[in-house]
Amino acid sequence: MKRTMIVAGTLLLGAGAVMAQQEIAVQQDNLMRSIAKNQYGVLQKMSKGDIPFDKAAADQAIAAIEADVAKIAKIFEINPKQDVVNATYGSSPKVWQNKADFDSKIPPVQKAIADVKGKITDNASLKAAYTSINDRCNDCHETYRVKLK
Amino acid sequence: MLLRTLFAAVIAAGAAFALYWWLTAPAVLALPAPSRSPDLANGQELFNAGGCSSCHATPNQPDRLRLGGGLAIGSPFGTFYGPNISPDPADGIGRWSEADFVNAVMRGVSPTGTHYFPAFPYTSYRLASIDDVRDLFAYLKTLPPVSGKVRDHALPFPFNIRRNLGIWKQLFMDTAPFVADAARSPQWNRGAYLVNGFGHCAECHSPRNALGGIIGTQRFAGGPNPEGEGWVPNITQQGIGNWSEKDIADFLETGDMPEGDSASGAMRAVIKNLAQLTAEDRAAMAVYLKSLRPVQGPTPPQRQQGS
Repeated sequence: MKRTMIVAGTLLLGAGAVMAQQEIAVQQDNLMRSIAKNQYGVLQKMSKGDIPFDKAAADQAIAAIEADVAKIAKIFEINPKQDVVNATYGSSPKVWQNKADFDSKIPPVQKAIADVKGKITDNASLKAAYTSINDRCNDCHETYRVKLK
Repeated sequence: MLLRTLFAAVIAAGAAFALYWWLTAPAVLALPAPSRSPDLANGQELFNAGGCSSCHATPNQPDRLRLGGGLAIGSPFGTFYGPNISPDPADGIGRWSEADFVNAVMRGVSPTGTHYFPAFPYTSYRLASIDDVRDLFAYLKTLPPVSGKVRDHALPFPFNIRRNLGIWKQLFMDTAPFVADAARSPQWNRGAYLVNGFGHCAECHSPRNALGGIIGTQRFAGGPNPEGEGWVPNITQQGIGNWSEKDIADFLETGDMPEGDSASGAMRAVIKNLAQLTAEDRAAMAVYLKSLRPVQGPTPPQRQQGS
């Protein structure tokens, strides 16, 4: 009886740990998706003319990106050691092998955001803002973001 | 009796070695006389199309034209280190002749007559026109010399035996030149030339067999990242069928994808190179890529356990 309980308990704990790790990976993925929704779903689309220029929407997207970027270091603190089920992208284990370098890529993104914030007046300045932010995103994605399929 | 057996064995070994030596001999091109003086602008365009900088630029410094080498490039066979191809006379290619350079790029043979490893994509560059390679050589000579020899590749036996690559080349390297398809437009042909030749897109975007040869039937259909992490996408119409020609051309310039994302990983460095091309060359590549019929590639692993 005791043994059964220990075995069941261990299995539950194990399953819990796996769930928790998947949960961490999902949180990290969701944060990146939230940024992408504004960066690509709003700023990129607007800069390409896929959706009409809207200063308020652009400002709102940039503010949302700024808030999300501030969370990256914390949300990526723990290595979930697995990818989100069925995800197209994942994090390289290098993030946690070189966490200090990973974290050092964040302030330049914040600077790029601060530099363009409140200065978007037309499509040209929007395009420039999108590109300058995206270039800093890429500095990190080049090393730490992995395509999975 | 023993002596006779021994004698036969020595003869057999000698014959086997002679056969091996003959099979693995590096084959070089006989270089025709130049038909014109070098065109540096064309050399620069091909430098960017060929992505030379991605593997040969000195890592951890911002100048993509300092080709001192040293970047570690992972593979299933060991780690390669991009060599110094700056015009430095001692450590780079400063003392190379034009014929040395053409044979290195188009045949994977060094000036001393040894095989280069196909991590250097001469398997694609062999489609280049000799005049284009001459222009590239002239352009490289205008870049700053960088001193410092790069360390040797870190490959375990038997992959470290360069001579063996002679057999690899027999198996997996075609040496036929690029032939334009008269039924297609000049733009499509320019794209085919850039994508298959200098662009060497298929080198990463195709699955490879156990010996590292590209699986021809699944060319451009994606596969595991040869560097080890993740997956290289299918770029036939199976994978990017919903991208328009303009979407592809835009992607090659900015890395922006129509589905609302941006290129990652090694493709970032490729975009940095391709962004420097003329818009016409990017458009030509897009026209060719859009024409690739859908091919099902290998299936990516369902779920990856990280480490």
